[in-house]
Amino acid sequence: MPRIKSPADLEQFRKELLSKADPNRPCIALCSGSACNASASAEVALALEEEIEKQGLRGSVDLRRTGCHGFCEKGPIIDIHPEGICYFNVAPEDVPEIISETIKNKKVVERLLYTDPATNEKIVYESEIPFYKNQERRVFQNNSKIDPKNIDDYIAVGGYSALAKALSNSTPEQVVDMVKASGLRGRGGAGFSTGKKWEFARSTPGDIKYVIVNADEGDPGAYMDRSLLEGNPHAVLEGLTIGAYAIGSHQGYIYVRQEYPLAVKNVTIAIKQAEEYGLLGKNILGSGFDFFVEVQQGAGAFVCGEETALLRSLEGKAGEPKARPPYPAVKGLWDRPTNINNVETWANIPLIINNGPDFFASIGTEGSKGTKIFSLVGKVNNTGLVEVPMGISLKDIIYKVGGGVPKGKKFKAVQTGGPSGGCIPAEYLGRGVDFDELAKVGAIMGSGGMIVMDEDTCMVDVARYFLSFLTDESCGKCVPCREGIRQMLKILTNITIGKGKMSDIDRLEKLARTTGAASLCALGKTAPSPVLSTLRYFRHEYEEHIKKHYCRAGVCKQLVKSPCQNSCPAGIDIPRYIRAIGDGKYGEAVAVIREKIPFPAICGYVCVHYCEAKCRRGELEEPIAIRELKRFAADHDNGQWKENVKVASPTGKKVAVIGSGPAGLTAAYYSAVLGHDVTVFEALPKAGGMMRVGIPTYRLPAEVLDKEIKEIENVGAKIKTNSRVESLDELFAQGYDAVFVGVGAHRGTNMGIEGETTPKIIDGIDFLRDVNLGKEVTVGDKVLVVGGGNVAIDASRTARRLKAKDVTIVYRRTRAEMPASKEEIDEALEEGVKIEYLATPTKAMKVDGKVQVELIRMALGEVDESGRRRPVPIAGSNFTGEYDLILKAIGQESLVPGTYGLVVEKGGRIKVDPETLATSRKGVYAGGDVVSGPASVIEAIAVGRQAAISIDKYLGGTGNIEEVLAPPEGAPAAFNLEEAEGEQFRPSIKMLPIDKRLKGYAQVVLGFDQKKAKKETARCLRCDLEKR
Amino acid sequence: MDQDRVNQIIDKYKGKAGSVIQVLLEIQRENKWLPAEVLETVSEKLGVPLSRIQQIVTFYKAFSVAPKGRHEIHVCQGTACHVRGASRLLDKVEDLTGIKPGETSPDLKFSLKTVNCLGCCALGPVMEIDGKAHGKMAPSKTAEILRKYE
Repeated sequence: MPRIKSPADLEQFRKELLSKADPNRPCIALCSGSACNASASAEVALALEEEIEKQGLRGSVDLRRTGCHGFCEKGPIIDIHPEGICYFNVAPEDVPEIISETIKNKKVVERLLYTDPATNEKIVYESEIPFYKNQERRVFQNNSKIDPKNIDDYIAVGGYSALAKALSNSTPEQVVDMVKASGLRGRGGAGFSTGKKWEFARSTPGDIKYVIVNADEGDPGAYMDRSLLEGNPHAVLEGLTIGAYAIGSHQGYIYVRQEYPLAVKNVTIAIKQAEEYGLLGKNILGSGFDFFVEVQQGAGAFVCGEETALLRSLEGKAGEPKARPPYPAVKGLWDRPTNINNVETWANIPLIINNGPDFFASIGTEGSKGTKIFSLVGKVNNTGLVEVPMGISLKDIIYKVGGGVPKGKKFKAVQTGGPSGGCIPAEYLGRGVDFDELAKVGAIMGSGGMIVMDEDTCMVDVARYFLSFLTDESCGKCVPCREGIRQMLKILTNITIGKGKMSDIDRLEKLARTTGAASLCALGKTAPSPVLSTLRYFRHEYEEHIKKHYCRAGVCKQLVKSPCQNSCPAGIDIPRYIRAIGDGKYGEAVAVIREKIPFPAICGYVCVHYCEAKCRRGELEEPIAIRELKRFAADHDNGQWKENVKVASPTGKKVAVIGSGPAGLTAAYYSAVLGHDVTVFEALPKAGGMMRVGIPTYRLPAEVLDKEIKEIENVGAKIKTNSRVESLDELFAQGYDAVFVGVGAHRGTNMGIEGETTPKIIDGIDFLRDVNLGKEVTVGDKVLVVGGGNVAIDASRTARRLKAKDVTIVYRRTRAEMPASKEEIDEALEEGVKIEYLATPTKAMKVDGKVQVELIRMALGEVDESGRRRPVPIAGSNFTGEYDLILKAIGQESLVPGTYGLVVEKGGRIKVDPETLATSRKGVYAGGDVVSGPASVIEAIAVGRQAAISIDKYLGGTGNIEEVLAPPEGAPAAFNLEEAEGEQFRPSIKMLPIDKRLKGYAQVVLGFDQKKAKKETARCLRCDLEKR
Repeated sequence: MDQDRVNQIIDKYKGKAGSVIQVLLEIQRENKWLPAEVLETVSEKLGVPLSRIQQIVTFYKAFSVAPKGRHEIHVCQGTACHVRGASRLLDKVEDLTGIKPGETSPDLKFSLKTVNCLGCCALGPVMEIDGKAHGKMAPSKTAEILRKYE
């Protein structure tokens, strides 16, 4: 190829390239970015070449190895043109089929297509995949179209036309003005106006000036610049050359990390090709302008991303920053005027010159124009690089483009801006992303790292992680940075290992302020951000680590004995009792459980088992069936724990407990064991609260409940049923010293629709209560249950047992969002319950003794602040049905008598101090559903424990409720690796046949036998034995 | 490292300002570490004081002044790998290389390290050599894989 000598030559050459290209000729574009290379892109390329040869297609199909397509999660990725078919996770074995089916027969290979997780539909074209569809790709658009090693590809898509235009049509000053007018701000993080920066460098006198590409991208989890440099190096070179022309520089440097070998390679090739074509070097495009570029590699120092440190490094010195001013524009590389911009900034320049500054500024926000590339990583479904307009909300990036948080986990925070940035909690997900908006919530947009964090991320650990990174990376030149970060890290580390003090939080804040104010360069100035932002939004996590030695995410190893125990609200030593069951010591297992809860059997039957969701075996196959094992142990209890129960001698203090649900009974149990004179007041004829009247007996047999309540009476607590308490004053008058209010949430929430009071529309919770208390209840043939929680499922299954022929649950979201437990939904479906998803009632009226209900179909719309997609009605989709009975089960509220004189919040909830459960009245504590809204048995038990502690302290005790009921634990037997090894699933759990279930209220889940229980215990990975 | 090769690398960059880091990087890449005599040669030939070279090689992470094996083996000891026999895999690697975690073999062929979790639990047990993950490892497959590295 001869040198291109003028802009006209360039256009002519482009025309030739385009005329040679047959638009209908198949082209396979294979992503060959670093991420795809790690997942065997090179092997796929080889297989493609071989197969093209083998199937005799050589010369009639092109293979193009392109840069990063961005959807790194799904690599290797193949695009097939001209159709635009997109294949993901392509393996070499898939290649023969791709060639024979798609290239030859023009048929799509279904299994390689993208499956939309929301709809389970296969999507053929890139433009229809949500990850791509919701982006605005400008800077990144050519990455997937061109071979970065071939300059012709870049020229064919319009490459170097901006350079030609700038050199031939504009003076350097005009170029600077255009960049200024565009509003482009530096993409490296600081966001300084690029045009102004250029102007400074241009106006500084001097015959030798330098321009530099900062490709020392070092934020953990960010790789936008790498992908650009790897996938489209000519765009960066073109931008750099335009900048050099504008500033008056003839020598440029690309400072790129040596950890990016492919970027080094591709940009080196690009420079060589551009020189050969006359697009770099002497007399570029005949303009008389000379410009040379060299690649210099960084040697692994994060601080070299800071411009003054980068300059020292380029000069062959240790990369220590210098004080500014003088700014590099005045005194830069070898003391000459120098302009440094990052990769993405340079790559934006050709777009501005080609399309004009107004076009560029047409998208974005007031202060931040254009698009921005983010590296979206962490706990997000679609990991990869995304380019979006400035101003887009965090929510749209994470949910629309990113597809939300995987495995149904809860979103906790998004970390932006790398080690200099901060963590943004869910409440600010609606914020627009630009240079100024995120700063207002204590974070920065930064260079584009965006790390999504879910419930399993510990925010103290996140802060500790970034500071440990920064301790390593602080160059050590200035004391505030070197020592400040180190001391903050020390404090954070202490907190994560349970050695923190409350005063540490203040010290952290002070150190953070000093480090930020007094450090020399941006590394130290911004180092406190991870600490300050996590303290701002997640202070409670710090406090839990310090006060309770509790890491809710289960991350901080020293505080977490095992993930299961850590996630149990009552903190039961699960690994120990699993082990005891494995050893056949069932009585000991129950004693271990009883050390934390007075209801081992009840929890064995109905616990919501948060533990199983965190079980590490679940990451391999299935979590250990912890609840089922607990039930097995409780069913085989020999009662040995009773020998070790020590009821303290009477304290002479009287405690009243209002409500005999799990919270009240737990508080009563521990208060009685501590020697207090406890009386439980229950309004209903039977004790047990929701365990008695909310859970059907086919799930929790009355005998099991009776037996465990009896044990509470055995330690001295008195239970008075049919005793509604109307006034706390009366209780105090009767000589009670303290009161616990645990009256639950027994009133159904209204749907708020027209005709709600029509007869035969009743609360699911009232219905279940009547059935459980043995009242006569008739349901008719056709029943509609409204709601998606456990009450809805329980009500529908109970209706089936009362001989309703047709029971339908209507739920406004989809099964994925349904709060009811999976097992119970399955059991309900097995029993013939139908579930109508995405619909909700709008109106009800009485028609011929039945209830006619009008319903409307829903669609899942925008994600709301809870991270779930909000259901929105579809206009005109109304339909009606006639039912004998409507059971509404959409939530419950509390009804606390006003005569109690307590401060009550929304939903009738009593306001308490979250730590002590103290109410607005002295000596009165409250907890359970009446405080939190409907929750689970195990959460109520945990609250009951806290209530007993607080009340005992209030009454002058120590508040120590810990019991030692199990025999001392010997050295645990060695972990039997062979038993745990290999793929193993849960043994099947015996269930009652369906025909028998509907005949009455017999237990549905029959549980494990001894053999299966033992087998299941062997699957336990024994995380508690892990080294710490 | 071969003195001629060192000289070749130095000559390639000679005369370019600030080239010392680039020279050291290339030597590091080829030799995996920077012996003292190599640093002296670089100092002499580029006319950069040895003290500054020491500062550079200790400042930047890419450099190592202690011998490192040509190949770095990481054996994952995460829980998922653990139950699939990671400790037996480690035993086997120790047997075959003759080194313990944290050590480098006398012939500078391998350095061995245990790591906590490489994040590919589904492939456990995992052994990583020079950044390439070898999943579903059995001790019996280890020798065959190590043989591929020279």
